[in-house]
Amino acid sequence: MAGRRILITGVSNFWGARLAARLAADPAVAHVTGVDTRPPGPALAGRIDFLEADLLDATLGPLIRAAAPDVVVHNDIVQFPEPGRSAGRLHELNVIGTLQLLTACDALPALQAVVVRGSASIYGSEASAPAFFTEAMARRYPLRTRFQRDVGELENLVEAFERRHPRVTCTMLRLQPVVGPGLDTPVTRLMRLPVVPTVLGFDPRVQLLDAGDSVAALHRAALHPVRGAVNVSAPDVVSLRRALHRFGRPAMPIAHPLYAPVISATRSLSGLRGVTPDIVQYVRYGRGVDTTRMRDELGFAPRLSTLQAIERVLADGERPKAAA
Amino acid sequence: MTPFGLPAVARDLRAAVDAAAHRLRGDWEEDEWGYDAGFADAVDPLLSFLYDRWWRVTATGVEHVPRAGRALVVANHAGVLPWDASMMATAIHRGVGRRPRFLVLNWAFELPWISVAVRRFGGVPASPFNALRLLEQDHAVMVFPEGAKGVGKPFSRRYRLERFGRGGFVELALRAGAPIVPCAVVGSEEIYPKLAELPGVARLFGAPYMPLTPTFPLLGPLGLVPLPSRWRIEFAEPIELSGYGPEAADDRALVLELSELVRGRIQQKVYENLVTREGAF
Repeated sequence: MAGRRILITGVSNFWGARLAARLAADPAVAHVTGVDTRPPGPALAGRIDFLEADLLDATLGPLIRAAAPDVVVHNDIVQFPEPGRSAGRLHELNVIGTLQLLTACDALPALQAVVVRGSASIYGSEASAPAFFTEAMARRYPLRTRFQRDVGELENLVEAFERRHPRVTCTMLRLQPVVGPGLDTPVTRLMRLPVVPTVLGFDPRVQLLDAGDSVAALHRAALHPVRGAVNVSAPDVVSLRRALHRFGRPAMPIAHPLYAPVISATRSLSGLRGVTPDIVQYVRYGRGVDTTRMRDELGFAPRLSTLQAIERVLADGERPKAAA
Repeated sequence: MTPFGLPAVARDLRAAVDAAAHRLRGDWEEDEWGYDAGFADAVDPLLSFLYDRWWRVTATGVEHVPRAGRALVVANHAGVLPWDASMMATAIHRGVGRRPRFLVLNWAFELPWISVAVRRFGGVPASPFNALRLLEQDHAVMVFPEGAKGVGKPFSRRYRLERFGRGGFVELALRAGAPIVPCAVVGSEEIYPKLAELPGVARLFGAPYMPLTPTFPLLGPLGLVPLPSRWRIEFAEPIELSGYGPEAADDRALVLELSELVRGRIQQKVYENLVTREGAF
């Protein structure tokens, strides 16, 4: 298995840069190629090959063929607008970008595995949901938000690719929300506020994944891919209220219909850019997943529990954060 | 027996609420389901008040619930708020010293506060996946296979058990190798006697149904106070299923046959206890 050639899309984002650094240092990896629209930080210079390319561009195919990877890690999946990427481009990137990438992969004879950084939001956040979704329970509920529909569509694309290429192992990682010091997501933004807005009368069960563990999971899957979907999360589930209570963080309950309007109205105060429907639904009902497959088949165990991951986010203070 | 006087009831209720509020302050532990043993202890005084004073529950056969290990307690169902589950849980806690978990009509998890309280007391959304996982963790799980049909039936059909779904609870017990403990609850039907339905209002609130009772919605939130009927809860001998093996869960004929057997046994126990109870109040 020695001497893998790995290609990472979205190499300049939070996960891409860290994964590329880890893989470049791994003796089992012969070569790392990174693809993105903007160059990665100076730390990666000289250690990986960087291809400046847009997944939506027709030039992608020849570039990827020239790199001749045996593992493709599709990491260019975005849930939130970030500097350089507008909200309108998210769908393009998530769905059409995946389509273009997989089309380019059709022409790679040596390809052995495709690993996708997907999302557990395909399960949704629902009042009556099973407390622990297993991988077989995707799409039990309608996909309500734009990001959920994107994830649904990109899972379809990957499944279709797997049918076309039965030899290629396709791993769909379904990550629970990733939090960590130095990472800026809508979930961490809420958690870092001096007073955390919660939904009046509700207490979601939350299950999270530490940012470092999320990179380690991608690393593991790139070298030991398994077929099909795998939930990736810290195994423990806590209620939001208990986590806040535990770390002495005051909560401000807001009645559900007013949640998004109040956060928009206090934008200047909180520094939040508003909340998406995904987040409103999530802080109301939460979500838990079953991690048996991650442990037994992917052979991966996160180092930090949900509670520890929350503690680390709350403790990191005012350090600069990278947008995810 | 203490006389059933209003001042005494008010005093007991106040003491129970104070004790509960006192124990709810401070940090707490919870498991992966959101069940909180400290919360269950904290609401004990309140439930004991309902159990001893309000509904004057008589429980028999509690020893049929095993003290440890998995078991599926199957009961008849009435009242949209899971009061029957809370009284069965109290009976089981007093009788064999364990806290059972229970499946709750999904709608309850859309209600503010109630959803949180139900979960912290051991309720989970009524999904077979939840039930199976709980059984595999060796919990005693209470299920109400009549579901919404049971809680929404008119007062004139009280104590006549509705269809037991598609026998899903039998499949669960077979798959998990858990014994079924049939349980008959008498008294829960009178707490909210449903005279008619207000389907338009139900749609407005997204509720499965909206009852018209002698006190609700006439008295507003006060109409939610359950009537003080007299209760009897009987746990019957367990039905041992481990001999069939987990593959038997796919045998439809067997599942439906066992489901009918359990339903028949509960119906019979309901009738017996109705006769023993004599008056409803």
